Amino acid sequence: MRNRDFSFWLFLTPVILSLSLVILVPFVYGFIYSFTNWNGMVATEFLGFKNYITLFKDAEFRASIWFTTKFAICSVILLNFLGLGLALLVTRNLKTNNLMRTVFFMPNLIGGLILGFIWQFIFISVFGNLGDLLGIEALTGWLSTTATGFWGLVILTSWQMAGYIMIIYIAYLENIPKDLLEAAEIDGASSFQRFRNITFPLVAPAFTVSMFLTLSNSFQIYDQNLSLTNGGPFNSTQMVAMNIVKTAFTENKMAFAQSKAVIFFVIVAAVAITQVYYNKKKEVDM
Amino acid sequence: MKSKKTLISLVSVFLLSIFALVGCSSDDDKGKDKASGDQITIDIFQFKVEIKDQFEELVKVYEDENPGVKINVKTVGGGNDYGASLKTSFSSGEEPDIFNVGGPSSVEEYREYLADVSDTKAVEESIDGTLTAVQDGDEVLGLPFNQEGYGLIYNKAIFEEAGLNADDIVTYADLEEAVKLLDSKKDELGIDAVFALPAKEKWVLGDHISNMFIASDFNDDITEAYNSKTIAFDKGDELKRYLDLQNSHSVQPVLSLDYSQQVEQLFSLEKVAMIQQGNWVYNSVYDMDPELAETGIGILPVPVEGFEGKIPAGVPMFWAVNSKSDEKVVQASKDFLDWVYTSETGKTAVLEDFKFIPAYKGYDASKIADPLSQTIYEYAEAGNTLEGWVYQAAPTGWTQESLGVNIQKYLSGDLKWEEVISQSRAKWEAERK
Repeated sequence: MRNRDFSFWLFLTPVILSLSLVILVPFVYGFIYSFTNWNGMVATEFLGFKNYITLFKDAEFRASIWFTTKFAICSVILLNFLGLGLALLVTRNLKTNNLMRTVFFMPNLIGGLILGFIWQFIFISVFGNLGDLLGIEALTGWLSTTATGFWGLVILTSWQMAGYIMIIYIAYLENIPKDLLEAAEIDGASSFQRFRNITFPLVAPAFTVSMFLTLSNSFQIYDQNLSLTNGGPFNSTQMVAMNIVKTAFTENKMAFAQSKAVIFFVIVAAVAITQVYYNKKKEVDM
Repeated sequence: MKSKKTLISLVSVFLLSIFALVGCSSDDDKGKDKASGDQITIDIFQFKVEIKDQFEELVKVYEDENPGVKINVKTVGGGNDYGASLKTSFSSGEEPDIFNVGGPSSVEEYREYLADVSDTKAVEESIDGTLTAVQDGDEVLGLPFNQEGYGLIYNKAIFEEAGLNADDIVTYADLEEAVKLLDSKKDELGIDAVFALPAKEKWVLGDHISNMFIASDFNDDITEAYNSKTIAFDKGDELKRYLDLQNSHSVQPVLSLDYSQQVEQLFSLEKVAMIQQGNWVYNSVYDMDPELAETGIGILPVPVEGFEGKIPAGVPMFWAVNSKSDEKVVQASKDFLDWVYTSETGKTAVLEDFKFIPAYKGYDASKIADPLSQTIYEYAEAGNTLEGWVYQAAPTGWTQESLGVNIQKYLSGDLKWEEVISQSRAKWEAERK
């Protein structure tokens, strides 16, 4: 790290500049505004912690935090399970490997809004018609109850992100030295034993990365939420990001929304840091 | 070879990003020297995406007629998007000279920027009652865009086949009877249900359906609603009865039924006999089935006790002129808006290109493009309207986020009707403390 000369800083300047302009400055401003009665244009009064006190009494906000947490837990588990599963599948020596990788990764290229609308059609019309045809009551009326709305969101997110997580696992899986596996095989380890004792520990860093990604992503989901359920029925599938946007723009309480955003930031940061810390401890060095 | 390629791509990426950065800052000399010399520049920021192209056409005509005026139109669509973008442009100092406000709460929010337009011809010509939301003493702070109205839109062919005459449906009992009749002949008529109630849309529940039943709490006066500390819900039971009627005769499940399913899949394909919607559905129905749209549908008022035969019609948005703009620009802006709504060219465009229901007198109703709008304009001119879209005067977000959500909970069985009323009222009172 001796090469921090002039050119080092020269190349870094654009990044630092744009980062502070679009992230740092707004963040600090937002933090300050959350203590005032800012309405989007002017702040006339300093309110202290009043916004934060109201916020803790806001049942809807609590409900959306709880909903988001449940959602995050479900999708983190499902996504990593699926991602690793798919990765194991496409790292075998099959002829269709590349094709399958592309297919699994594809949903990730479609924007969340469009995905939401596509799945809305699937859940409501396709499921509904199938249910009518086969006489299965459970298939009709998806997205019209809280539970189906929740699972709808989980399915949608898993479908979208599993391919992306798969790529991360593939990268680590392909880095596992073949001789280790070979040696184990010669020693008579079954394929499950090889996975359990060699593959699994060696892809632990991938767990750190992909769990961090899935966790922070699931907490911040907005567009899929908006297009799939729009928080309905009766705002019961409304995630935190959506709750904040609505407070700001539908109810026109900018400062209050800002304070929600600050709390949201604290929660996500705390969860993510804890997760990375514990995952890091589990990693093994070669 | 390979390193050369990498180098070329790196250089091109670098160049591209420089172009992108430069491109961002290139067109900011617009609107800088407003009203310098004889040239006047007016920046318009409007919300109605549906008329974007037609409006720009009209602006061009005006610019040709008035060489000294240059008008820039910017359109950002939809309720939330527009509100947020307008706020952003104000807080960043790029204030438009003409912009849109809807209802008393946004009037209050932008109060210091709103110029008095009471001296315009358009104000004189406006239909009675269309200005109440933007009046402050003697001052008039905005010009109505257009009128919109809603009611029960019905399929004429289905009604005829069932032996129903829409004109006979006047009282609530009539409506109930008609629904029963239609329901009993469902198979014969080939419909899925009588209604399609899009309960997924909080605006249908909280704004439109409820509005008819809460308007009388404030004597149909939008200003009174805006100042009211509480809401009585005198017609709460009637609202419940009307919701139940629709819900029990609607395509299920209502909670995942949205606007496009209601209008396009169900009504336009003639799977239901009636929907509660407004004149704005005309274009969607037209896209699906032009013949049905032109001759096959009609609109009848929702029979609210004491207000039978009245259609709720109102002004969704107003044009406002920025009072902080240069004096000359303010005058030019007023002249332009006047021209849009009172000149012959403007009137034709408003009727035929924008397909608006005019909020002004002296328009030729027979030229209104679609039958729904025509009926509503006739109701409005005859004074048969339920005045004041009082939902615009409710605390911000209350109609949808409180009342609408509570009605959804009621429809799903999670909340009793009394709780819908009491919780919504409590929220209103809390917001108006």
